[in-house]
Amino acid sequence: MGRVGRALLWHEFRERTRDRWVVVISVLFALLASGVGLYGRGAEADVAKLAGPSLVTLASLLVPLVALVLSQDAIVGERERNTLGLLLSLPVSRTEVVLAKFLGRALALAIAVGLGVGAAMLSSDHEQSQTLLALIGPTLLLGFAFLALGLLISAASRRQATAASMVVIAWFLLVFFYDLGILGLLVVSDGAISDAWVSRLVMANPAGLYRVQMMQAFAGPDVLADLGVAARAPGAAGIWALWIGWLTLPVLASGALLARRKIVA
Amino acid sequence: MKSFQARGVSVTFRRTSVLDDVSIGGEAGRALMLVGPNGAGKSTLIKVLLGLVRPDFARFEVDGQPHAIDNQWKRRVGYLPEAVAFSENLTGRQLLQFFANARGVGREAIPRVLERVGLEAAGRQRIRGYSRGMRQRLGLGVAILSSPDLLILDEPTAGLDQEGLEVLWRVIAEWRSAGRMVLTSTHDLALMERRIDTICVLKKGRVCATGTSEELRRSAGLPHRIWLALADPADPRAATLCEVLSRWTDGTVERVGDRIRIDVPADDVLELMKLQGGFPGVVTGVRVEEPTLDSIYAQILGAA
Repeated sequence: MGRVGRALLWHEFRERTRDRWVVVISVLFALLASGVGLYGRGAEADVAKLAGPSLVTLASLLVPLVALVLSQDAIVGERERNTLGLLLSLPVSRTEVVLAKFLGRALALAIAVGLGVGAAMLSSDHEQSQTLLALIGPTLLLGFAFLALGLLISAASRRQATAASMVVIAWFLLVFFYDLGILGLLVVSDGAISDAWVSRLVMANPAGLYRVQMMQAFAGPDVLADLGVAARAPGAAGIWALWIGWLTLPVLASGALLARRKIVA
Repeated sequence: MKSFQARGVSVTFRRTSVLDDVSIGGEAGRALMLVGPNGAGKSTLIKVLLGLVRPDFARFEVDGQPHAIDNQWKRRVGYLPEAVAFSENLTGRQLLQFFANARGVGREAIPRVLERVGLEAAGRQRIRGYSRGMRQRLGLGVAILSSPDLLILDEPTAGLDQEGLEVLWRVIAEWRSAGRMVLTSTHDLALMERRIDTICVLKKGRVCATGTSEELRRSAGLPHRIWLALADPADPRAATLCEVLSRWTDGTVERVGDRIRIDVPADDVLELMKLQGGFPGVVTGVRVEEPTLDSIYAQILGAA
């Protein structure tokens, strides 16, 4: 990455840490996470083991929201404020601008997630802290995947209001209604959809991938089968491939969208 | 950089021609102004020069050599977009710091630039608290930060108060005297006229006229308006003077109260002075009004 890209990366990071919405949701996440930690600490041993899964549930709801809020104005916001042209008048490629925006905002997100999990760790005992520590990596991947998705929505939108609406819809669809949709599909198809396809559909959603991955991390690889759910996470290589796909494809698509535009600003 | 030329710039967007075979150029120490009604293609032409719009056709030269709109070119250009709205969470100083980092300009340039655009006292304030004019001046600061060879200003007078205008005139004058180039688009013709060297009039994506304001005045052929103040409107010699003038010129001669108004071509002004001199004591004062740049502009656009 060149000088302009590096400067933009830090600029993005600095600016995002001043965004009040990002700060509010991050503080909320930290408060709720520390609440989960405190609850686990004071509970019986069996209940205490639920602190990790509880935090996974919390993170799978809030981290995508923080990520989408962080990224929805990345491109379209600049265009609407007439600063995209100014940015692209610097000696930098359009793809590099997209990449720098993604990385700068990813850094801000990493701090928000770190604060949340860190707050939970501070209020947990040692054993729980180790469990929570293992959460950081996958939670960051979840956040980065939604950040990349938000960036793509931002690059594809013509107005910031549209992008804001689209990320809310994306959040509801992927975080809340996706699993219900799959269940509905199973009912409607009357079992015509194979278990393998159900697994693929679950893993195709980063929120689903994250939940399955973390549930398996907490309760072993057969936890879903034990619960009567046919979905099963692929091996480590498969999981990495899925995460890399979720991180790179939307960013590349955003760069391509911006690069092929005849009139960019 | 001593000069640049953009020739045959053509841009179509959604089957509509936005720019059609437009050619412009700049020379060291000179300021070029693009004028035209909304939709004339001024901003699009500027964006072509910044690599923000991909033309269907354009030949581009720097110092007489073929050149591309690449990063090397962008390093030499400073840009003030129209109605720019910077992030309100940052201070003016922080914003300039980002652009200084991006352009490889030392930190010491920031207070200097803030001073040049009259924002030294507001540098540590968040942009949220800036007035429209202050934001525009900050944008100007961003544009001049790296002392670019070519300063591109899109509607720079918009939102500027008198203090802001003074800053703008100072910057343009500095750029011209330092042998650099300025390219600006504006609606405020009269305001900018004295600060620029060449005017390029665009209409519907085509160049209607190019030249200095004097050249455009001549080519427009608009009459000068002469006002003769009469010593005594009841004096019969005043009526005679009016008759003589009416016979002498094809232009308009009209009595307006205690004055005579005559519209004559620029070349006839001297002759008119001689004529009225033949009526001593009748005329007490003469006022010559050159056609305004706005009227020339309207004439050019109307004829195009």
